[in-house]
Amino acid sequence: MTWAETIVDTLKKWDTSLIAYVPDISIDKVTSIIDADPFFHLVSCTREEEAVGVAVGSYAVGRNAAVFMQSSGFGNSINGIASLCLPSRTPIPIFMNLRGQVGEFNIAQVAMGRNTKPILDLFGIAHYTIESEDRMDTLLDGVMKLCHAHRNPVAICMTPMLHGGKIA
Amino acid sequence: MLRFDATQLVLRHAGDSPIVGNLGPTSDELYHAGHRDRNFYTYGNMGLCSSIALGMALSTDDKVISLDGDGSLLMNLGTIATVGREMPENLVVVVWDNEAWAQTGGQPSHTSTNTNLEDVAKSCGISKTTTVDDLETLEEAFGRAMNEPGPWFIVAKIEEAEQYMPVAPVEPEFTLYRFRNTYVG
Repeated sequence: MTWAETIVDTLKKWDTSLIAYVPDISIDKVTSIIDADPFFHLVSCTREEEAVGVAVGSYAVGRNAAVFMQSSGFGNSINGIASLCLPSRTPIPIFMNLRGQVGEFNIAQVAMGRNTKPILDLFGIAHYTIESEDRMDTLLDGVMKLCHAHRNPVAICMTPMLHGGKIA
Repeated sequence: MLRFDATQLVLRHAGDSPIVGNLGPTSDELYHAGHRDRNFYTYGNMGLCSSIALGMALSTDDKVISLDGDGSLLMNLGTIATVGREMPENLVVVVWDNEAWAQTGGQPSHTSTNTNLEDVAKSCGISKTTTVDDLETLEEAFGRAMNEPGPWFIVAKIEEAEQYMPVAPVEPEFTLYRFRNTYVG
């Protein structure tokens, strides 16, 4: 099972069927599988904060949801996470391609990418970095369990060491 | 047309449908017009009211009502495009349009000049649109929206009351818990 298939498998296991996202070349390996699978409803959003709102709405009526974005989009979504997800306590897993890591070619991606995890720490949002497929299924299952037990967002940061990254 | 009167009208026709209230006075007035478990009040996340309602509409068969505002929607116009892409038949977006950012001092919003939100919705592929400016035409439009497939996009021109109502005594965590329990409880 590939890392992308492992994510899809975990989402299904946790009955998480609405996926709101903003396209990204690395996470496309996951969202393209999701898009082809009738279990899921993949909602293409215009901005990452909008995706957070869509996911919270879905959860509010009883359907688990997740969001996919890249770390620059996390910057776009911070107020939605801080003023909606946290005070409402919504268990939304945030899968993101973490830019600004080894192999980054774009200077404009470095500041947001390298500051993503410190910002998550400031908000007290649990985050886990995945750099290999080793025991990924066990880790993701535990992350989802924590997300729902704590009823708060968690971030799953995927680096180019996992997905290959974007090549300039 | 005062927003509170219009909100009371919406509640009379809403049945058990979920209603998402935009932040601030819209949610306060929704609470005072008729607190109910399926009112989803928001007090932050400016711009996300109709995005939340869209997520609901994609995940339930119930009619879902968004009570948005012009200033808030202008912050997240892209969500109209997403509604136009998804085309959920059960979504009713009502925009309380006072043509201003009333809470920050009444500065004129873009709808006071050249921006026509109904035209924006039409250009995103939403055909069930209208703009109303009194309770009679709002009642006609909203009644149709609740009984005919959408998505609907209703711009309701409103005036601000002279005084705001008290802040609703609600907490976001309990709002979500109470609301969600009507679906999974």
